[in-house]
Amino acid sequence: MTSRLYPVLQTGAFILLALVLCSLIFAAVGLSATETLGAIVDGAFFRPNALAHVLRWGLPLLITAVGVVISFRAGYFNIGAQGQFYLGAICAAFAAEWMRGSPALVAVPVCMLAGMAGGALWALWPALLRVKAGADEVITTMMGNFIAAQLLVHVTSGPLKDPSGSGQQASSRPVEAAWRISESSGSSPVIIAIAALVVLLGWWLVNRTSFGILSGLAGRNPVMVTWQGAKVQRIAISAFVLSGALAGLAGSVELMGPNGRLASGFLPDHGFTAILIALVAGMSVIAAAFIALFFGALTSAGLWLPVMTGLPSSAIDIIHASIALFITAKAGVFRGLLARFGR
Amino acid sequence: MEDLIVAFLRSGTPLVYVTLAGVIAQRAGIWHLGLEGMMITGACATILGIVLAQSVVVGLLAGAVFCCLLALLFWFVVEVLKANQIIAGLGLTGLGLGGTALALTAIFGSEGAVSASFGLPRLGPAFGAFGGLSVLVAAMPFVVFACWLLLCRTRFGLRLAACGEHPFAARATGVNPGTMRLVALLLGGPLCALGGAELAAGSLQIFSVNMTAGRGFMSFAAVIFGAGHPLGATLASFFFALVGALGIRAQLSYGDRIPSSLLLALPYVATVAGLWLSARMRGGNAASSRELGQQ
Repeated sequence: MTSRLYPVLQTGAFILLALVLCSLIFAAVGLSATETLGAIVDGAFFRPNALAHVLRWGLPLLITAVGVVISFRAGYFNIGAQGQFYLGAICAAFAAEWMRGSPALVAVPVCMLAGMAGGALWALWPALLRVKAGADEVITTMMGNFIAAQLLVHVTSGPLKDPSGSGQQASSRPVEAAWRISESSGSSPVIIAIAALVVLLGWWLVNRTSFGILSGLAGRNPVMVTWQGAKVQRIAISAFVLSGALAGLAGSVELMGPNGRLASGFLPDHGFTAILIALVAGMSVIAAAFIALFFGALTSAGLWLPVMTGLPSSAIDIIHASIALFITAKAGVFRGLLARFGR
Repeated sequence: MEDLIVAFLRSGTPLVYVTLAGVIAQRAGIWHLGLEGMMITGACATILGIVLAQSVVVGLLAGAVFCCLLALLFWFVVEVLKANQIIAGLGLTGLGLGGTALALTAIFGSEGAVSASFGLPRLGPAFGAFGGLSVLVAAMPFVVFACWLLLCRTRFGLRLAACGEHPFAARATGVNPGTMRLVALLLGGPLCALGGAELAAGSLQIFSVNMTAGRGFMSFAAVIFGAGHPLGATLASFFFALVGALGIRAQLSYGDRIPSSLLLALPYVATVAGLWLSARMRGGNAASSRELGQQ
C-alpha cells in the first residue's frame, strides 16, 4: 500500500511546492496570494454550474492527454499536442465545409475522422524526422506548434473565412447547427461518450496489448527492446501517430462541440495543459481521467477570474508553469532529505 | 539591399545573444528550453525599467537580475531536485510568459502592450544607413568573440565542456559539475536579458505579451544546429534570422499573392529544416540521454 501511496504523496508535495512558488510570484507583483488562490478555487469548484464547466474544459483536455501519455510512455517528447490539436480542428472544418448539406449521421463521424487524420499527419513528420534522420522531436514538434498556429490564421482569414464575420478575431463559417455535438456552453452525452471511449481504449492499449507493454519498455530502455527483436521504429511512429490522432480528435470535438467554428488562436494553452495532465497523472490513463477534470476546473477558473474578480487570467498560466517546473522532480530527493534529518 | 541587411541584423542580434546563453548551458550539460521564458523576462524588465525609472541602465540591470533569478530557480529544479530538463525548461518558459503578462496587468491594469518613449542608445548618423541600429548590435561580434574565447580557449571552458560530456571525469579532476552548471546558467542570464532588451528596446521600444513568439526555442534549435559551438550556433541563428528577414521582404513585394501568415511561418520551417540537416550531417540517431521518470 505504501509503495502505491508514495508517488501520490510525492506528486502532492511537489504541487504544494509549486503553489508556494506561485504565491511568491503573486506577492511579487502586488497581488494578495491567499486572495488570488482563494478566487481560483472559488472559480474552479464553487461557482454556479461548476461541474458543467469542468466537463466542458476537462473532457477535450483528457482526450489530448491520453495521446500525450501514449507518446511519452514510448520515450518520445511529443510537445506538439497544440499543433496537432489545431490541425485536427482545421481538417475537421474543411471536411465540414465540403460535406455541407449531408445528414448529420454521416457528416459528424467523417469530420471526426478527418480531424484525427489531420492530427496524425501533423505528428507523422516529426516522427519520421526523429526516426529516420535523428532530428530531435522536442524542437520539431514545438516548431510544428508555431507553424500550425500560422496555418490557423491563414485558414480563418483565407479559405474558410466567414464573410459576414466582424471583430478582431478572424473566424471560419460556423459548422451546421444540426451537426453540433453539444451546446456552446458545456458538455453533452456525446462528448462524454467519446472521452470515455478514448480512456477505455487508451487503458486497454497501454496495459493489455503488446504495443503498450513494448512501448513502455522502449521508453525506459530502447536498447534492450531492440535486442529483444521488437521493431522500435515502428513503435515510435505508431506512438507519435496515435498521440497526434487523439489531439486531432480533441480539436474536432472542440470544433463540432462547444466552439462551433474555427477562430484564429483559439485555446492557445490546450496542448501544454494536456502535457501537464499526463505528467501529473504519472503516465497512467485512468489517473489522467481524474487529473484532467482538475485541470479543466483550473482552465474554467482562468476564464472566470477576469470577469468576476478582475484578477488576470495569466494567474492560471503561472500555476500551470510552476507545476510543470516541479512535477518531474525525483523522489530520491525527499528520501535523501528524510534520511538526513533522521525521519 | 542595405535595408535588408539592417532588417537582418535587427532580427538576428536578439537570437545571437540568447543562442550564446543556450550554448554555454549546452556545454555544461543542460538542455535549456527555458531560454524563451528568460528572453521575454529580459524584454519586459528592460521596457518596464525605461518606463518606470526613465533609465536604460536600470532596465538592463533589472533584466539581468530577473533572468539570473530564473536561472537560479532552473538550476535548483534541474540540479538539486533532479527534475527532467525538458519539462522543467518548458515550465520556466511558461513562468516567464505568464509572469510578464501578470506583471503588465498588475502594473498597468491591462494585458497588452507598453511602449517606452526611448529605447537603447543608437549608433547615430555617423553610420549612415546603419545608424538606426542599437549599440547592442555593434557589441554583438565582440560578445560572440568573448564567448568563443571563454568556451574554447580557457581552462574554465574546458572544464565546462567536461561537465557536459563526462561529468564523472570532471568530478575526478576535482571539478563539481553541479557548481559549474550553476555558473553556466548564471552566465546565460544576462545574455538572455540582452537578447530580450534588443528585441524590445532595440528598434521597437515596445513590450507586448508573448512578443518573443518562439524566438527562444529558435535559439535553442540554433544551439543544436550549431553543434553546441559558439561560432556554429551564431551562424545558425543568423541563418534563421536571414530567412525571417527574407520573409518580411517577400511580404512587402509579394504580399498580395502569398498569404502573409504563411510567410510568417517561414523561420519555423527553416528551423525544422536546419535540425533535419544537422541531424543528417551528424548521421544516424542522435543519442539522447533524456528519460522521463515513470512510476
